[in-house]
Amino acid sequence: MSATPRASESTADREVTITRVYDCPARLLFEAWSRPEHLMKWFGPVGWPLTLCELDFRKGGRFRFAMTGPSGAQNTPFGGEYLEIVPNRRIVFDNAFEEPGAEKMVMTITFDEKDGKTTMTWHTLFASVAMKASHVGMGFEQGVGSGLDQLADVAAGMRR
Amino acid sequence: MEQLDRVFGALADPTRRAILARVAGSEATVNQLVAQFDLSQPTISKHLKVLGEAGLVSRGRDAQFRPVRLNAPALAGAAQWLGNYLGFFEESFDRLDALVKDLKRKERRHVRNPPRE
Repeated sequence: MSATPRASESTADREVTITRVYDCPARLLFEAWSRPEHLMKWFGPVGWPLTLCELDFRKGGRFRFAMTGPSGAQNTPFGGEYLEIVPNRRIVFDNAFEEPGAEKMVMTITFDEKDGKTTMTWHTLFASVAMKASHVGMGFEQGVGSGLDQLADVAAGMRR
Repeated sequence: MEQLDRVFGALADPTRRAILARVAGSEATVNQLVAQFDLSQPTISKHLKVLGEAGLVSRGRDAQFRPVRLNAPALAGAAQWLGNYLGFFEESFDRLDALVKDLKRKERRHVRNPPRE
C-alpha cells in the first residue's frame, strides 16, 4: 500500500471512529455493504447519490464509486481495494480519490451482533494528521469545535 | 479542492476569522482594522493577503482606501462542503437503517410463506 503514515504521527492522531447500533442481525448490514444495488440506496448523504458503483466484493477485489451532487455534475471518483473480508464480521478496504497525489485512508467496518442488535463501527485511519484535518475538519469527534462554530455563525449570518 | 484548502487554511487562524467576522458586518479599511485589532499594519496586511488568496475577501476600488469586504460565496461554498461532509456519516447511517429494516421485512415475509402484505 502506498499509504504513507508519517513516522512521527501516532495512529491515534490519524483516526476517526464512528459507531451506530442497528436493530438487525449483522448479516443484513454485511449484505448492505456487499452489493451495488444496496450501496446505491444508502451510501452517501441525501442529495448526493452514488452514480458510479462498481465492486468486486472479495479480498483483493476493487471498488470504484462516485457521487453526483445537486449541481448534476459527477464528483471525482474514489475507490480502492478490499484488504480483508470476514463475512458478517469485518470489512477492511483502502480508499482514495482518483486525483494525482491523493493519499489513502484505510477503513475498517466491524459488525458486533448481540441479542439481535448489531453495533457497526466505522473506523478510518488517515495517511496523515493533515489528511484527517482536511477531511473531518477540527473538532469533528468532540462535536463541533469553536472554529467551526464561528464559521457556522458567520455563514448563518450570510443567509438572507 | 485547492481552493477549499486555501479557504480552510485561511480559516485556521483565529485572527483571520475575527477579521472575517468584522468585515462580514460591514466593509472596513486596513487602517480601521489596524485600530480595531491592535495589530501592526504589516500583520493585518499579511492576514488580508491570505484571506484574499482564499477568495474570502475582496478589496474595493476606492484607490485611496480600498476597503476590505467579505466575499460571501467563497465562505458559503466552504460551509456547504463542511455540512456535506459532516452530514455524510449521519445521513448514510440513517439511510442504511432504512435499508436494513426493508431487508429484514422482506426476509420475514419470505420466511412466512405466503406473504402477508
